[in-house]
Amino acid sequence: MNKKIYSICFALWLLFCLFPQSVQASEADYRQGIKALTENKYQEALYYFEQAISGDPDNARYANDYRQAALKAKDFERPLQFFQKALAEHPNSANLHLNFGFAHVDKIPVAGSITQVILANDALTEFTKAIEIQPTWIGYYTRGESYLFWPKIFNRASMGVADLEKAMEMQKKGPRHSYHVKVYIALGDGYWKTDQLEKAKAMWQAGLKEFPDNASLKGRISLQGDELKNLIEAGFDPAKRVNTDLSELWEN
Amino acid sequence: MGKLKKILSCVFVFALLLPVDLLGIQSAGPGIRFEEIGQKAGVRVVHHTRQYHGKNAEVLHMFTAGGAAVAVGDYDGDGFEDLFVADSDAGKPNHLFHNNGDMTFTDVAVQAGVAGGNDPNSIVADAVWFDYDNDGKPDLLVGRFGTPILYHNEGNGKFKDVSATSGLNKFGNTIAVIAFDYDNDGYLDLLFGNYFKPVNLLDLKDPHVLPNNLDAATNGGGVTLWRNTGKGTFEDVTEKAGLGKLSGWTLDVGHGDFNNDGLQDIYLACDYGTDHVFLNNGDGTFREVTEKATGWDTKKGMNVDVADYDNDGWLDVYVTNITDEYMKECNMLWHNNGDGTFTDVSKETGTCDSGWGWAAKFGDFDNDGWQDLFVVNGLRSAGPESYVPLMLPVITTPGLDITDVNNWPNIGNRTWSGYQKKRLFRNLGNGTFADVAKDAGVDNTFDGRGIGIGDFNNDGRLDMVQTNADQPLLLFKNVTQNAGNWIELKLIGVKSNRDAIGARIRVVAGGITQIREIDGGNGYAGSSSKRAHFGLGKATRIDRLEIKWPSGRNEVVTVPINRITSIKEGQGVVIR
Repeated sequence: MNKKIYSICFALWLLFCLFPQSVQASEADYRQGIKALTENKYQEALYYFEQAISGDPDNARYANDYRQAALKAKDFERPLQFFQKALAEHPNSANLHLNFGFAHVDKIPVAGSITQVILANDALTEFTKAIEIQPTWIGYYTRGESYLFWPKIFNRASMGVADLEKAMEMQKKGPRHSYHVKVYIALGDGYWKTDQLEKAKAMWQAGLKEFPDNASLKGRISLQGDELKNLIEAGFDPAKRVNTDLSELWEN
Repeated sequence: MGKLKKILSCVFVFALLLPVDLLGIQSAGPGIRFEEIGQKAGVRVVHHTRQYHGKNAEVLHMFTAGGAAVAVGDYDGDGFEDLFVADSDAGKPNHLFHNNGDMTFTDVAVQAGVAGGNDPNSIVADAVWFDYDNDGKPDLLVGRFGTPILYHNEGNGKFKDVSATSGLNKFGNTIAVIAFDYDNDGYLDLLFGNYFKPVNLLDLKDPHVLPNNLDAATNGGGVTLWRNTGKGTFEDVTEKAGLGKLSGWTLDVGHGDFNNDGLQDIYLACDYGTDHVFLNNGDGTFREVTEKATGWDTKKGMNVDVADYDNDGWLDVYVTNITDEYMKECNMLWHNNGDGTFTDVSKETGTCDSGWGWAAKFGDFDNDGWQDLFVVNGLRSAGPESYVPLMLPVITTPGLDITDVNNWPNIGNRTWSGYQKKRLFRNLGNGTFADVAKDAGVDNTFDGRGIGIGDFNNDGRLDMVQTNADQPLLLFKNVTQNAGNWIELKLIGVKSNRDAIGARIRVVAGGITQIREIDGGNGYAGSSSKRAHFGLGKATRIDRLEIKWPSGRNEVVTVPINRITSIKEGQGVVIR
């Protein structure tokens, strides 16, 4: 019994020693940030989250919660500046590029129509850098979905379809997650945007088999013509805030 | 048998309409109908935008593709509204279409002496009729990219260019002009909306002239306010009035008494950035109230028209912006809340989307007591390819100087927000509008710019002129059947300015109270008739008609319906 306790203590000590100090500090900062956030002390929360990210730039949770806190604070500029600075120090952090991209997306609804185009384009640049460093499901899904927001005249929907097909391939290879439904919806929308209605319907049907209760898929399958167009295009309205909260990734 | 059939159809129609009326909902009413008679009327002239020379020619042309303006006014006092129509290319004459009284017009611009203005250093862009010396004869101000031209109406069908002695000698890239008496001294002043900063685009020395930000530009021409001294001259009072700090790309200027204090306020629509609202302090100055009134915006404001669309006694404002596949700005219908604030109700009212909007004008086209809204649109209709994708690298390349003309690609034969259908929003009287352009026969796809509204044949129904860039002018004769009753009022100021611009008329009839203010050129590239037109629906009498003159005098008058009536300040109805 004593032997067992010693072994556990030794293991914990070893883990403590091996775990970088900065990561420990980051977790402490992150907790401080969460605490400040629950107390609606936004500026304080942002400060602690920034400290946490600086110590652990590849921590997806820190960067995500930082952006969500900035959204609550309605401070759209600060994350842009912070991620830019952080990337100067950690240029190869896919996580930072991804979140820098999302920070651009977060600002789009409050920007003027031309600035929206600039932000959307800059977001795509960052998503691309993230994929180049680390090709992930979230990277492909995010960039693919982003391409679909572009009006048809810019001819970017086919690039979105290519990314979303890669995301689909990836998710089929691993265990099923609830958030995988997003790719079924988005890829169907991509096919619709590239005038492949039958493929779109088939994709939404396939999604519904996997996720039978999904209202977005049901809606798309039940509608046709202008009604379907209105439903899909309403989702690509730059004035509407896109949900960029990634917490689903680690909660499911 | 035929008679019986007619009676039965009448009963059937009545039965269909009855429940609607009982519910208090506005019925479909008489369908608004127009007939385009430009050719027949002799006004089918083609506008020409200014062609530039040199390597930046195409880009400069693209950024200045306007100038197709119309000004409605009875210059010879014969009781029929005439038309001044602008052209813009070098050497191209303007037109003065004299109304022959039978819905035909004769171009007398050359004889009258008002055809010129498009010289090698100037581009005609807007025009307004206004009686600056209160002699009872409308004079003509021609706004230009250059210095303006002031024509004095000599009264014998001739005009005299008095620009040189008028004091209106400041160069500006003026795209919009209104005349109004901002200081209520009885003389009409001028407000110029200037698009580019004051550089001569026709002799460009420095290529950095384009907007420095496409959502919040600060390098435009702002506005210039000219005070009429009453001695035949004007003085620049822009700074003194508190308007000197503006540097937006002003595309249109509009005036009206927004807070019902008897003073004329102004709304400035700016391209590439925020519009501005200024209230008149009554001491020759204005104070900016944009933040409280409307908030700041980033849209591409093109037009200001002012009217009480919902008959609540407060003047509302309609501004066009850009709504297209690639840009979803939405127009703004600013509902005046009566407390110093405005709420944009364009989505709720159904007036949000009119494409790449230009001029928009309110008018009660079916005389039902509710003002409808005609909107023209479309930038450039050309070949099958679009210019929009070519702009993307310019907008998104970090560090690229977008003010530099050299950094913008040539447009060639590409289309840019072209072939757009015009909108005619019929006011349903319940806070919403329905687009009836197709049924009304006005859903053409020309590249619209200006609108001039007036009753050109004096039949009580409002007709319209639509100007188009590089395309023919359209004249829409109102042929709406069973339109409602009406009155038209020609006001003559005595202590107030002779045109009575700024006078407010309040009419109570048929259970509706309507207001109109005589305006001096509201709406992009077009000024309308200065007669106040009221649709009365089925009302056969007017319960009350009050006029609040700019001088402050209030007058109650009685006028017959379905007539054009002249009213002189302090004298009531007069025979003209």
